Amino acid sequence: MRILIVEDEKSLASEIKQFLEKEEYNCDLAYTGSEASEFISVNPYDFILLDIGLPDYNGLDLIKEAKEYNSEAYFIVITARGELEDKIKGFDLGADDYLPKPFSLLELLSRIQAITRRKFGQKMAEIQFGDFILDTTKKHLQYNDHAINLTKKEYKLLSYLILNKNRILDRLQLTEHIWGEFFEDDYDSNYIDVHIKNIRKKLSEYDDTNWIKTVRGIGYKFEIQ
Amino acid sequence: MKIPKLKLKSQLALFNALSKALIITLLVIIVPYLVSEISIRDTDNVLIHKLDQVIELVDSLGIDNYIDMESEFKTFGSYNILKEEYISIEPIDHDTLVDVIEFSQRVIEEEIVDYRVLSYSIHENDNNYLIEIGKSISTIYRFQYNLKRFTFIFLIVVISLTFILDLSFIQYLLKPFEKIVKKLKNTNHPTSFNYSTVKTSTSDFLYLDEIISSLMQKIEAAFNDERDYISNVSHELLTPVSIIQSKLDNIINDGQLQEADMIKIFESKKTLRRLTNLVRTLLMMSRIENEEYILTEKVNINNTITNVIEEIEDRISAKELTLKSELKAKDFIFKGNENLLFTLFYNFVNNAIRYTDKGFVKIETLKQTNQFIVKITDTGIGIAKDKIPEIFSRFKNSHETKDSYGLGLALSKKICDYHKIKIDVISEINKGSSFILKFPA
Repeated sequence: MRILIVEDEKSLASEIKQFLEKEEYNCDLAYTGSEASEFISVNPYDFILLDIGLPDYNGLDLIKEAKEYNSEAYFIVITARGELEDKIKGFDLGADDYLPKPFSLLELLSRIQAITRRKFGQKMAEIQFGDFILDTTKKHLQYNDHAINLTKKEYKLLSYLILNKNRILDRLQLTEHIWGEFFEDDYDSNYIDVHIKNIRKKLSEYDDTNWIKTVRGIGYKFEIQ
Repeated sequence: MKIPKLKLKSQLALFNALSKALIITLLVIIVPYLVSEISIRDTDNVLIHKLDQVIELVDSLGIDNYIDMESEFKTFGSYNILKEEYISIEPIDHDTLVDVIEFSQRVIEEEIVDYRVLSYSIHENDNNYLIEIGKSISTIYRFQYNLKRFTFIFLIVVISLTFILDLSFIQYLLKPFEKIVKKLKNTNHPTSFNYSTVKTSTSDFLYLDEIISSLMQKIEAAFNDERDYISNVSHELLTPVSIIQSKLDNIINDGQLQEADMIKIFESKKTLRRLTNLVRTLLMMSRIENEEYILTEKVNINNTITNVIEEIEDRISAKELTLKSELKAKDFIFKGNENLLFTLFYNFVNNAIRYTDKGFVKIETLKQTNQFIVKITDTGIGIAKDKIPEIFSRFKNSHETKDSYGLGLALSKKICDYHKIKIDVISEINKGSSFILKFPA
């Protein structure tokens, strides 16, 4: 998959590129709106990460422009200005998602994956681990033919862990993913731990494998070969 | 007594009507009096003129021509058939000179008639004579009566006409003024001001309109500057944070660090998150202060609270608390900003959960004497009485044990003020707290 990163902060752009390339995405960097405009007119992209706070361009115009080139790219809009209207305008112009700065790179990846799943359909929708099947379209978990009852938050947490399998996810990332950007000022809350405990309990009724490993002092990791 | 506040137009109309009524009353009283004065004076002049003619006649023809001193009635009298005028000459004995004009009654052919009578004495042929010339005043009275009636009708007509004319002129004249007032009334925010100039031929209104427009422009510019400033500060602060965060994410993702280093990186991320929240909350407060959030959404408060509960109930069960929700207020629709109200309830409920380790958290909506109320009650650690006034100020934390920067409640207060919601706090140490949000009618 090919991604265009439009970001005027070179240092941030290269971090995003480094991260996504490790995930085997092909990335192009554009530091200005006109550069981005050129890239879009020449190459077909699957995703365009667009910082709308560009010095030379109104980022939202780029979405319009891309649509004119019949680009089928999905837009994920990034902004540090946090202007409410930008968010609404972005969605109106056909942006597919919106990330306020600062965001975690894993969150960015999960948004890209979510859009991919949404657009490319069933094939990737079912994820198997052991005898469990996680259905990401129906949003439920089953063991052989038994449906396992997970709460909304538990499902969200488990699927996030599974989609980022074999990767350490710290508590903050998990919190952010589940509760979004609510004004959380309780940094040492153990809500995540309680959820993990409940998920483990539900999984252990069917299977003895310790799927979710605790990474001491940091968070959790979903392990699968 | 409190005088009700009236529009300028109404005040002018009222004054106009009152002053005209006063004029009518005065004229109705004064005009007949003046007219009768004038007609009496006019009658008197006629009488004097006639007297002159009579005296001339007496002088040229001699008094004997009128009075026969030998006859039984030594008088002369003459009146016309309608008894409107009469002239009489009679001898008088006394030597005094008479020269008066007065009202008096005379009996003529057994009929009492009111006259204005001029009495004048002359000396002729060694005798004194009194000449009386009378003019009936019933005509004057009738004239006076007609005049009274006529003036009254005339005045009513004229005054109603001028009143209507005045009123439409005032209306026409004040139209631009009313447009200016309307423009201001429709402006609840400097960006919504209508800058089109009001057409007027009145220089004062033109001046007023121009001044208001230019002031509004200044306010709007200041407002936009402030908004740009907030947006720039946001950008300048959050972009570096974003760079650091991405770098830390990549370090963790590379997975080449020792456990101890990983923990340090994670701690740094936590600190960064704290900084981010701080900046976001402060920015949100600035945006509220700058009135950037629209307040025109029709928010179903019960629904919003249900959404908050859905979002937060796992925390309740994680802490093994009971959640009681009693959303009793029906049709609780409030005009405001849904996002802000969601944040408000979320903050209060989240706080309640945070400071409660045993018991319940209760969320109620109710209606008390036409006022909607949202009440959040907990059985938590409570707040000391002397600390209650300061829980809503920035960076104050009444719970020394938790490390927080106390912006949550300050933000909640801002949101309440912005929506004109009143907050009452009832709390007792180790018993729990109640936050009562009273919505404006």
